[in-house]
Formats: sequence, C-alpha cells, structure tokens
Amino acid sequence: MSDSKNNHSANSGHSHHYILPDSLALKTLLSLGVLTAITVGLSYVHLGPFNFIIGMIVATIKAFLVCSIFMNLRHDDKANAFIFGSGFLFLAIFFCLTAPDVFFRGDVYVNGKPLTMAVRGVSKFKKAWEPTPELVAHGKGLFAQNCVTCHGEAGLGNGVASAGLNPKPRNFTQDKDWKNGRKPAQIFKTLKEGIAGGGMASFATLPAEDRWALAHFVASLGPNILKSEAADFAAIGVDPTKDSAGDDAAPSIPVEIAMKRVAADAEKSGAQGNMKPGTENMGMDMHGYDQRLNAKTFNPNP
Amino acid sequence: MSNTNPATGVHQHAHHFDSAEHEFQASKQGMWLFMVTEVLMIGAIFVGYFIMRGRFPEAFHEAHKLLNVKLGALNTAVLIFSSYTMVRGVSAAQRGNPKQCLRFLGTTVAMGAVFCVVKYFEYSHKIHEGTLPGGLYTFEGMTTPHVPLFFSFYFIMTGIHAFHVVVGMSLITWVMFRVKRGEITPEFFTPVELVGFYWHFVDLVWIYLFPLLYLLG
Repeated sequence: MSDSKNNHSANSGHSHHYILPDSLALKTLLSLGVLTAITVGLSYVHLGPFNFIIGMIVATIKAFLVCSIFMNLRHDDKANAFIFGSGFLFLAIFFCLTAPDVFFRGDVYVNGKPLTMAVRGVSKFKKAWEPTPELVAHGKGLFAQNCVTCHGEAGLGNGVASAGLNPKPRNFTQDKDWKNGRKPAQIFKTLKEGIAGGGMASFATLPAEDRWALAHFVASLGPNILKSEAADFAAIGVDPTKDSAGDDAAPSIPVEIAMKRVAADAEKSGAQGNMKPGTENMGMDMHGYDQRLNAKTFNPNP
Repeated sequence: MSNTNPATGVHQHAHHFDSAEHEFQASKQGMWLFMVTEVLMIGAIFVGYFIMRGRFPEAFHEAHKLLNVKLGALNTAVLIFSSYTMVRGVSAAQRGNPKQCLRFLGTTVAMGAVFCVVKYFEYSHKIHEGTLPGGLYTFEGMTTPHVPLFFSFYFIMTGIHAFHVVVGMSLITWVMFRVKRGEITPEFFTPVELVGFYWHFVDLVWIYLFPLLYLLG
C-alpha cells in the first residue's frame, strides 16, 4: 500500500513521513518555469494542429510534476492515486459520450409536418414535373450537395465514395441498365424510394420540388431527354393537371434546426408571460417528448 | 475539526482512529476524494469548452487574440512560484520550523494576492471593452460569429478559478494562525499538508487554463 518511507507501525506518529528535499522542490520549480516558457514560445510558432497537441502534452507534464512531486503522490498510498485518477477517467467518459452527440446531431431527424413546412417555407415551383431552366439549375445545386459523393461531379458514377460500392453508382450520361427508367417521373420514384438491394438511398426527406429538380437535372445529363408519360405519373400518384408539386416529403428536419425552433417558440411564449412548454406542440413527434412536456407534473404554471 | 488538548496545546487524534497516523491517512484520503469532486466540477466546463471550440474553431481563435498573453504568463509564473513556496512551507512544518513555515506560507498568500491583482486588471480591461459573456457582450471590434461564447467560457472558467484562489488564500491564512499558536508540529501537520493540496490543485487548473484560453484558442 504505502511507500516504505511512510509505512511504519501504528502509534509511531508522523516522524518518518517523507519530507520533500529543498533541492528537489527547487528543481521542480525550475522545470515548471522552463515548461511554461516552452508553451509561451510555441504559441508564436505556427505548427497547425500540433500547437494544440504539444501545448496539451506540455501542460500534462507540468500537471504530472505538480501531482507527483508537490502533492507527493509518488510516495502516497496507491489508493489515493487511483481515486484521483478515477476523476479524470470519468471526465474522459463524459467527453466521449458528449462529443459524438454534438458533432453528429445533424444526422438525427425530428418528424413533424407543420414544423418542417415552417422551416422549408412555401413552394417556389408550380408544376415541378414540367422541366424549366430554373428547375434544372436548382437541381444542379442540389446534385452538388447530395449526389456527387457517389455519382461524381459529371454524373459518371465515379464519385469519391464509388470506390467502395458494389454495384457501382449509375452513370447518368448513358442510357443502359436503368432500374426504374430514366424519364423524370421514374427518376423521381427512385429518389423517393431508393433502390432496394442497391446502394441508392431514399431521398424522401427532400421536398418533392427538390426531387423533381434533381430528376430534371439528372435526365439532362443523358444522351437524350425523355418525357414523362401519364402512366409514369400514375405510378407515383401525381396528377399532372394540378398546379402544386404536393410536398409529399417525409416530414423530417435535422434535430438541431428543430431545437432552435423550439427555443425560439419558448422565448416567444415566455415574453408573453405564458411559459407553458409544449402547449403549442408544433405537430412534432419527438417520441413522446412533447407529451412528457405536457404532463402536469412538468408544467411550471398549471 | 481537530482535537487540541487545551492544557498542552498538542494535537490528539480523535478517539475513532487507531492512531495519529491512521487519522492523517484518513484525512488525506478525504482530501483526495474532495479533489475528485473538484476535477469533475471544473472538468464539466472543460468538456464544454472543448466541444464548443471544436464546433467554432475560428471564433475561439479570433477571440483568444483579445487576451493579454503577457499578463497570463505572469500569473502562471506567480502561481507556480506560490506552489513552490507552499511545498517549502509544508517541509518547514514537517521539520518543526514554524518561523520558516510562516515565512513561506505568507509568501504564498502574497503570491495569491498578486494573482488576484493581475486578474483584476484583466477583468476591468474586458469590462471596459465590453468583451463580456453572452448577452452582456458589447465589443464591436470583432465580426466573427460566436465570439461571445469564448468570453462566456473565459469568465466562467477564470472566475471559478479565481474564487478558488481566494478560498485557498483564506485557508492558508487560517493555517498560519494555527502555526502561530503552535498547534502545528512535526507530529501533526495535517492542515498544512491538505491546504497545500488544495493550493496545488488551484495551480493545476491554471496550468491547463492558461494555454487553453490565452495561447491555443
């Protein structure tokens, strides 16, 4: 347990306790000073991410010197080192559980049609299934955001991620082997549902007009532009005689945007002196979250 | 807190301990446990700092330039030196030299005061400029978004730390009174040693705060 210098028979008092030699105390002080000078000096040299890494390593060496020599942890009962170390262990666990939540929260979605409509705004395009230069241009921008990783910038099916995919992503510049066909309405169907058994994911969380824009842009990459027919529209449940593109997107938005909206609404109702969380539940289904908020026990002003 | 024989002024270990050594080890272990709670409290803010810095690196980089590295480095040197005088004070108590012990502990308190004065100048400069936390932020010389977030961390972290410095100075002063009354002997120096731990912990926190806030932001 204890160091031999500390370990003596009971009732013998403190007389055999380790006393830090003055020379070692002075050496430690000088080492700490030199290490501080190194940290300050390094801050004037630009080493990119290494500034941070080296800075933290130097700080940790200093912390180690203080603990082991000034606080004499090296001669102390090992249980004490274990106790103190456990504090840092739990801190590391705390960080490792928190960081993924914060940095990957954009991948988590909240459902709720009124909320998603409010965030996305009103549809800009009428009869989005009829191609226009504006829609194709809009589709080009969406393509760069959503598709190039796999399909490549020119739509050749040679994006960065294609290396790891089997089957390979579709090459949009040729007309062979398209699973659902390459008329815009057929591409729309693929975007909505994805392709089962292939690498193509569903993009149903994009608003319908965005998917139409993408369909028109993808169709424009091919050797010839095909026109959707009545049967193709029937297959996806769109009535081409109506005006609206009909937002049939899965009503999902990133949880981060949802939280901002919740905070803004809470602030608004707070300003009116009517702070009742969840009373305007904004049509969200956060897995019973707003039901819990509505529970009487949780209501600060019943 | 302690059992001092009023007649002799000599410390006697409490009856529920086997020996003075037993009492000393138990007190010390209690101090380590307390310091774990300190690590977890200040550590939670460090975790918040790391995460927000990871999300808004430009804001933290721009904002940290507004801190005065020279004053920060001066305070680092002051605290490290005070840790040194603290251990020398403990050694003097262990060797049964109360006069030397008082000199070293007095220097330690003085160093703590120097730290607080430097901190006062830093804080008043920031209050004057308006680089204050969150909604109190009024400084107009920086357009990068999320800069006030850095100052929220700066004030909360250094504020909690400065509070610990003040508490540490009070504790050392209390220990000095006990040394003066002759209650601290080579057989009983638990208060000096454990208050020393507290002071070193304060130094430990600053060892990380200084590079994180002043240098690496």
